[in-house]
Amino acid sequence: MFSIHCPYCKEPRDQNEFSPAGEAFIARPENPEALSDEQWADYVFYRTNLKGDHWEQWVHTSGCRKYFLVKRSTISHEVIEVATFEEIDSENAS
Amino acid sequence: MRLEKHASSLVDYTQPLSFVFNNKAYKGFKGDTLASALVANDVLYYARSFKYGRKRGIIGAGVEEPNALVSLEIGGRYTPNMKATEIMLYDGLSAVSSSNPHSIDFRAMIKPLHRFMPAGFYYKTFIKQKVWSIVEDRLRSLSGFSKAPLVTDEDVYDHIFQHTEVLVIGGGVAGMSAALEVLSGSKVARVILVDERENLGGELTNEFTTDQTATLWFQEAKGKLQKYRDEDNSRLKILTSATAYAWYDHNYIEVLQTHGTGQSMIHESGQTARKVLHKIRTKEVILATGAHERPMLFETNDLANIMLSQSVRRYINEFNVVAGKEIVLYGNNDSIYNTAIDLSKHNIKSKVVDVRASGNESEIILEAKKIGIEVFQGFAVLKAKGKSRVTGVEISQVEMQAKPPHWKSKWRITGDTKTINCDLLATSGGFNPVVHLDCHCGGKTYFDETSQSFLPQKERKERQVCGAVNSVGFWKDAMIDAKNKAQLTLSSLGEEVEVTPQKLTNRSHNYFNVDQFFTPLEILNKPKVFIDLQNDVTTLDVALSIREGYQSIEHIKRYTAMGFGTDQGKTGNINGIAVAAEFLDAPMSEVGTTTFRPAYTGVDFGAMAGREVGDFFDPQRFTTIHDSHVNSGAKFEVVGQWYRPWYYPKNGEDIHQAVNRECRAVRSSLGMMDASTLGKIDIQGKDAREFLSRVYTNAWMKLAPGSCRYGLMCNEKGMIIDDGVSTCINDHHFIMTTTTGGAASVYSTLEMWLQTEWSHLDVHLSSVTDQFSTVAVVGPNARKLMNKLCPDVDFDSKSFKFMQWRPGTVCGVEARIMRISFSGELAYEINIAANYGRFIWDEVAREGQEWNITPYGTESMHVLRAEKGFIIVGQDTDGSMTPMDVNMNWILAKNKPFSYIGRRSFSVSALNSNDRLQLVGLLTKDDQVVLPEGAHIISNKGISIGYVTSSYYSPVLGRSIALAQLKGGLSKMSETVLVKIVQEKQGLKEIPCEVSSSVFYDINGEKVDGNE
Ligand SMILES: [Zn+2]
Repeated sequence: MFSIHCPYCKEPRDQNEFSPAGEAFIARPENPEALSDEQWADYVFYRTNLKGDHWEQWVHTSGCRKYFLVKRSTISHEVIEVATFEEIDSENAS
Repeated sequence: MRLEKHASSLVDYTQPLSFVFNNKAYKGFKGDTLASALVANDVLYYARSFKYGRKRGIIGAGVEEPNALVSLEIGGRYTPNMKATEIMLYDGLSAVSSSNPHSIDFRAMIKPLHRFMPAGFYYKTFIKQKVWSIVEDRLRSLSGFSKAPLVTDEDVYDHIFQHTEVLVIGGGVAGMSAALEVLSGSKVARVILVDERENLGGELTNEFTTDQTATLWFQEAKGKLQKYRDEDNSRLKILTSATAYAWYDHNYIEVLQTHGTGQSMIHESGQTARKVLHKIRTKEVILATGAHERPMLFETNDLANIMLSQSVRRYINEFNVVAGKEIVLYGNNDSIYNTAIDLSKHNIKSKVVDVRASGNESEIILEAKKIGIEVFQGFAVLKAKGKSRVTGVEISQVEMQAKPPHWKSKWRITGDTKTINCDLLATSGGFNPVVHLDCHCGGKTYFDETSQSFLPQKERKERQVCGAVNSVGFWKDAMIDAKNKAQLTLSSLGEEVEVTPQKLTNRSHNYFNVDQFFTPLEILNKPKVFIDLQNDVTTLDVALSIREGYQSIEHIKRYTAMGFGTDQGKTGNINGIAVAAEFLDAPMSEVGTTTFRPAYTGVDFGAMAGREVGDFFDPQRFTTIHDSHVNSGAKFEVVGQWYRPWYYPKNGEDIHQAVNRECRAVRSSLGMMDASTLGKIDIQGKDAREFLSRVYTNAWMKLAPGSCRYGLMCNEKGMIIDDGVSTCINDHHFIMTTTTGGAASVYSTLEMWLQTEWSHLDVHLSSVTDQFSTVAVVGPNARKLMNKLCPDVDFDSKSFKFMQWRPGTVCGVEARIMRISFSGELAYEINIAANYGRFIWDEVAREGQEWNITPYGTESMHVLRAEKGFIIVGQDTDGSMTPMDVNMNWILAKNKPFSYIGRRSFSVSALNSNDRLQLVGLLTKDDQVVLPEGAHIISNKGISIGYVTSSYYSPVLGRSIALAQLKGGLSKMSETVLVKIVQEKQGLKEIPCEVSSSVFYDINGEKVDGNE
């Protein structure tokens, strides 16, 4: 069972308080109607499924109910980094 | 046989205990294990083996024991398949063998017919010849150990969450030293020290009779640890009789502790746990798990009284017992000489057979020779003699021919065989470091040629290994190794320590200086050379597996069932690998190990469940009206943890009679239902309207305050995930209802869109399911009752229309009244603050008597909605249904500027195929036959083309109705299809049905305004 540091509660908590919410940074297309079936399928179904450090979304279901980002090794399951969406946005802006 | 009391014994002769084993009474002492007490009483046989039903004796003294499985106690305290070597004796203990060695055994009788059954025997014999079904029951009843418990466990089990900086696993010399080093080297680090035995010290106890310094060190170290443990704000916890059985991600380790002696913990003052499951999260782990001895291989090595050398030693030193008078020790390392010397101290004669040639003898061999122990160097045991118990051994001279890497036939048996008589044979083929736990969560092993064993990988984050698990055998070296490693742990914790690794003495007195695996083909090719005693796997099974193409060790394991037993191959597996290496002509390192997975030892289901049993198994949710339903005699069903009234039987009605009555009441006059469990989400903010139109398929921008609207929610794949009615309170405030079971996931999904994609929208969500009670008043006379209950609202159908809501006062309570309907009848849902639920319900019931108001449950609700063709998400849909599939194209908005969730998928070609499953009605030709839900619709070729999702008897129509998913169903109206059902005692039957509209009743919606 993972121990995940919630960036909102600012504490490590057991995995059973959280739910995984898929790969991170998959933005919903601005104009879905303009996409081909293939492009739409890519957004809906295809994921990188990578071996290595992977950014994913988690939600603190039994805690603050906030969605946030976790960078986790899919090999060792080590959590390398956690961040809020705001933190990532401001990082990208600067 | 019991020996004279001596210094290292842990048995207290002043405290005799009585116990029963296999229906016979025995005596033992406090400090005994069940096994040691039985050895003291000269009990020889403990089990029958799994496959052949051979009588088996005891092999080990601890967790490694494969044979002596017992079922402890009876009735509510019955616990199957415990190791006799791990049960501490208590007064009145009763146990039986898991497989009785004294009963006649069918397996032992078929043995002469088939000689030995090779791996895959049952498959080859029975399944290939298609007679498996005939013999299966008989064979299954013979297989396995013990019987499952029949009555409820009367004990309780606890879970304790623990947090620590350092977890030391193993309380022998290495573990004790490491714990002390951490405690003295840090002022803050907390330590938990865990050991599976009742006492700390591990194998060190064996040194007490021969090494005074060992005794002194142990007393001092134990004293220091106890002092740390007992001081205020102690940083040390010591858990004994506690096995660390699983290591999961992020250093989460589970430890099962047997409370005290394992006897009943039921006191007058209350009940304390029989076992405690410690859930430990630690920063650092120090593994000091020691090593298990492996047996030597020879013919009929499974006879009773063939034991492990180190176990014989432990029985003498810890428990004062020995299983024989005339002993042969056989092995390939120095540990057998220690056992011989310890035996000599009790005036027990022994002979040593050592496969290693003479020359370069270590001190201990010289010492053994000096005290007159007869030693056969360069000799091997070829065969154990005896029928069921060992009476002697055949030995022969052996010689080493080749060295690695050319392993083939490195041993040659030379010279004549001769026989030595004995009544106990103790063997040692070297030691297997207990690497299991380290491998549970990513640790790897490597084969170490020096110690001839698989060792844990050297470096691993937040983990150190020390002592025997690190192939350090001599106790003083284990101590140094532990100190060195504890310093690394401290430094990893950020403590300022000087890491000054001390050199090991590397004294020859080290059991890890073993010789190679003794696996000459002359022995391996004999029958009855057992590798895995519990599962009866022999060397020939491994050879057969390899011959038949299963050459990977993982395949060999599965083909032969090697290591599948409750002991998980603790003694046998590594020998199995060596045997495979010999047959494959490959080095051990290439063959590798099988995968070690949790759990290291058996874990009681009771311990896993802890206190989460009975009423605490799952949360139970009750509406505030619940007691009233109970008073009305309702039967309940659980929906998403809610206890919902299912139906309200009257005067001995069965479910059908009750539902028919309830449905008729709703259709003809008036019914009432507790709808409080529907999920309710309060949505506020200036973008609330925009938000709803993004997550629902239909239009929301023009929904006026005072109105309600039904919405269908899809995911991006275009599949229906939920539905419900949302109410517009004002332009910035809506209340969404969801299905009872879908409330939590819908809420979470909505939050996800808001937090991850649309954080710029001004929308706030709150779950208000528990904040409101909802009483639905349903039926043609609903308006009349509402006029009576709520005088401040105009219920005239022209001013208070269908799909509108009004604020009002019901029996003096502020309410929101929604005019919505899930039955097609005139209906009002009265929403009040949750705690008024019971009051309003009872008032409605009282005031409604005039119209014979009838409470109805979920079953009638289902019938009423099915008559109208209203879907239930999750029953009529399954996550692969689009709105088009359920014939609800009308709910897909065409002109919304924002491409709502799922919309783009609706134009994907696959979702527009006419071959998709589509929702239709089914009318059986025989209108009294009610189809079973889940039954398949079959084509004339017998292939499934759909299935029944909902099926009921409709009292108002006087016939059965069903909803179904049928391939291309919407273009098959009025066609006849066949539904295949199983009828009791009549077998399969095909029921002809007509495909119809999914709306069966009030097709034009004329009932919704009710009676004036
Ligand atoms: Zn949180």
